[in-house]
Amino acid sequence: MTTAAVYEAPPLDRGLSMPRDPARDREVRLRRLVDGHIDFVARVLRNSGTPQADVDDEVQRTFIVAARRLDDVRIGAEKSFLFRIALNLAAHARRTMARRREVSADQAPEQIERFATPEALTDQKRMRELLDRVLDKMEEPLRATFVLHEFEEMSTSEIAELLGIPRGTVASRLRRARIEFRERVGAIEALGKRERET
Amino acid sequence: MREPSRLRDETSSALERALLDAGTSYRSPASARAKTLGALGLAGSATILAGATQAAPLSAFAKVTWTKLLATISVVGVAAAVPVGYYAWHRHAGAGHAAPVHAPVVALAQAAEPAVPEEAPAGPAVAAPALEPAPAPTLAPTAGSLTHRAEAGPSTVTLAGELSSIDGARAMLARGDGEGALARLDAYSRGYPRGRLELEAEVLRIDALDQSGRTNLARERAEAFLRRHPRSVLAARVRAHLGD
Repeated sequence: MTTAAVYEAPPLDRGLSMPRDPARDREVRLRRLVDGHIDFVARVLRNSGTPQADVDDEVQRTFIVAARRLDDVRIGAEKSFLFRIALNLAAHARRTMARRREVSADQAPEQIERFATPEALTDQKRMRELLDRVLDKMEEPLRATFVLHEFEEMSTSEIAELLGIPRGTVASRLRRARIEFRERVGAIEALGKRERET
Repeated sequence: MREPSRLRDETSSALERALLDAGTSYRSPASARAKTLGALGLAGSATILAGATQAAPLSAFAKVTWTKLLATISVVGVAAAVPVGYYAWHRHAGAGHAAPVHAPVVALAQAAEPAVPEEAPAGPAVAAPALEPAPAPTLAPTAGSLTHRAEAGPSTVTLAGELSSIDGARAMLARGDGEGALARLDAYSRGYPRGRLELEAEVLRIDALDQSGRTNLARERAEAFLRRHPRSVLAARVRAHLGD
């Protein structure tokens, strides 16, 4: 008969009894925030009207603002928090873009010949440009709902929670947004069809 | 309440599908993640910049070109963009292309409505002057510096070097080599006098001073750090060092 080796298991509360490092915890949370949501933030910024050239900077800015207020964000509410920051920054970026357009109006006719020929654009970029045009016509509440449902594939319940509105309002906004989207795309298709027939 | 399906799943329009794909497929490049972590003072593994460094020249070119495109197309609007776009679409359609990706770059019939933002958030600018002897680093870039850096080109190359130095010092510190870490951090400050990770370096320096037995100096620098950067992302860590 052999004697079983004595095994001394580590105490169950070992991890819990160790002193916590708040600074390290905060860093870990911040890093997870970036890793877990950076694509979401970038898409929200882009689909909410932030010009392509500004998206990276606005992504950075979103997380800097979030880092400053991180202690006020409850666990699990990070995505909603980031979404609101990104939405505000996108609005700011659109305003800046509108001002740039006004300033550069004099140079535009010359530049368009140089840069906007179909050959100069890839199909993907053309689709992105066209999508920007379609979304830019939507009112902000409709656009946010449309973006979250169609691009982020969130349910109406999730969107309702994120935006802090009733689920019925989400459904209503989504219906209107989809009608607008289809009407505009349909108009483009119809115009193209007429063009081909003449 | 019945959950509505995705438009992507129910549409029969190739153009609608292509537009929805364009909205879904957007991803943040590795360079954006690296820059974000750097700005937050979270200088992680240097490997995060492996892809970003290579991608920088191309993305810089694309950024310039795309900015010009957006600005110019937007200004000219329907009058210029529609004929150009339809010429392209017509040509592709006439050639028998069924793929939706050949639809035009076209402004819609109405002029763009200016978006009305709900609330402009406070800017994230946190100018971060350095402790002596390290000169003026910046943790969180200002709006101006963000734009400037974007236009300045492949700054990720420099950032990769900075990250490598900081990671080296951190590794030495983890091994208990406080003197080695200090030497590495001093070299970093000399090599990158306006380094973006200088605050991170200063926090490591405080740790390294403490580890090498210069506790008074470590405390002095920690207190100075908090006086200068009380709202820094790293302030909590320094406070923990002081036992606050």
